[in-house]
Amino acid sequence: MFTFNDFLFLLQGVPNTLAISFLSFALGFGLGIPTAIVKQFPKYGLNYVADAYIKLMRGIPVLVFMLLFHFGMAGIVPLFKSAFLSATFALGFRSGAFQSQIFRGAMNSVGRNQMMAAVSLGMTRWQAFRHVILPQAFIVALPGLGSEIALLIKDSSYAFVLGVLELTKYSDIVRKATRSFFFPYLAAAIIYILITFPIANYLDRMGSRLKSRYGLR
Amino acid sequence: MRDTPAALDPISFTIEFVTEYYPFIIEGFLTTVEMTFLGLAGGFVLGILAALGDVYGSKWLRVIINGYVEFFRGSPLIVQLLFFYFSIPDITGLNWDAFTAGAVTLMLNSGAYQKGYFKGAIEAVFKDQLVAAKSLGMTFGQTLRHVVLPQALRIVIPPWTNEYVSLGLSTSALIVLGIRELTNISKTIAAQTFRPLEVYLFASAIYFVWITVSMKIFDWIYEKVKIPGLEVSM
Repeated sequence: MFTFNDFLFLLQGVPNTLAISFLSFALGFGLGIPTAIVKQFPKYGLNYVADAYIKLMRGIPVLVFMLLFHFGMAGIVPLFKSAFLSATFALGFRSGAFQSQIFRGAMNSVGRNQMMAAVSLGMTRWQAFRHVILPQAFIVALPGLGSEIALLIKDSSYAFVLGVLELTKYSDIVRKATRSFFFPYLAAAIIYILITFPIANYLDRMGSRLKSRYGLR
Repeated sequence: MRDTPAALDPISFTIEFVTEYYPFIIEGFLTTVEMTFLGLAGGFVLGILAALGDVYGSKWLRVIINGYVEFFRGSPLIVQLLFFYFSIPDITGLNWDAFTAGAVTLMLNSGAYQKGYFKGAIEAVFKDQLVAAKSLGMTFGQTLRHVVLPQALRIVIPPWTNEYVSLGLSTSALIVLGIRELTNISKTIAAQTFRPLEVYLFASAIYFVWITVSMKIFDWIYEKVKIPGLEVSM
């Protein structure tokens, strides 16, 4: 039987799910902005590195990265002895590639005209980028970042395969313990929906509110 | 134990396991491709039907369709796989193997995502054209068949390619049902050969080449079937 206590037990998986998602989002943010900038201002061939990085992350399952990090590279990188960190870094590296695409789209939508206007006022290209383009690009990027967080929260369930004690793992434990086959996973699915939906929705709305306030398209 | 960093030593880096295990690797890769195409094909039908229902259907139909989409897009694929694999036999008494459960769940999941793409594509076909078709005496079915879908199916190719890529990579989630796809096979080989680094790198390379080549093919198809002058952007 699946009781209310089992549900409360299930909730203990939520902190780890959130920790994996938000840490990997932060890592992806830190990687995504430089990658987007390097692609926007090609120099020293770094844009080819960024290109290869984005293509690789787009073409390989995140689960394979997790397994590669945790089982394949733990001997080289001691950090990856922890299943939690392997999962977080795998998701974070992929998120960096995805977020760079979001930022690039946002930067392009802000447009070249403003860049030209800023340069004509005597700003350097970097100053124009830093003070004119980037602040606006952040606003345009908000809805995209919202769905990226939602994606990370859902994909943090891959950490289950490495045995990390997150929501999916807890629902699996409850299924085995209660021999109830219906409710544990359904409860987990609903919890995931209840976490992802408000976050994505909030960033989406904040994005459109700020956009209309600053007259951005 | 894994404590000796053998992989740091360039001489010991070897993909010799391929000569011994290649039949399994091929089997795993084919299962991955098969699952991807099953999921995409089922999702294609479900997606089109759901999109048509959402655009032209009644209020209640729309509520049901959006509930379906919200569930499958809001929760992780792994949870969906476990849920359907364990709960359907429990509720119905029907026994199904992991492969069928996996394929059906992938179809339902992909259908929810493809619905969004098809809906966008159907709505991108100008409303005026529907009126024009009606004024020419075409029925709703004829309009759909001869006016809306030929354009919508062309517009949908680029976002549909994204769905192909993301579903193709998500098939690695089938490992939780024990289906012998590429990731699962790699895990087994890694455990047997004690060469996880090489095995997973090799698997990554297979995934990467497969996805990259597929994307090139879809780009080529898109260019090939495009109607000049009718490039509607979504």
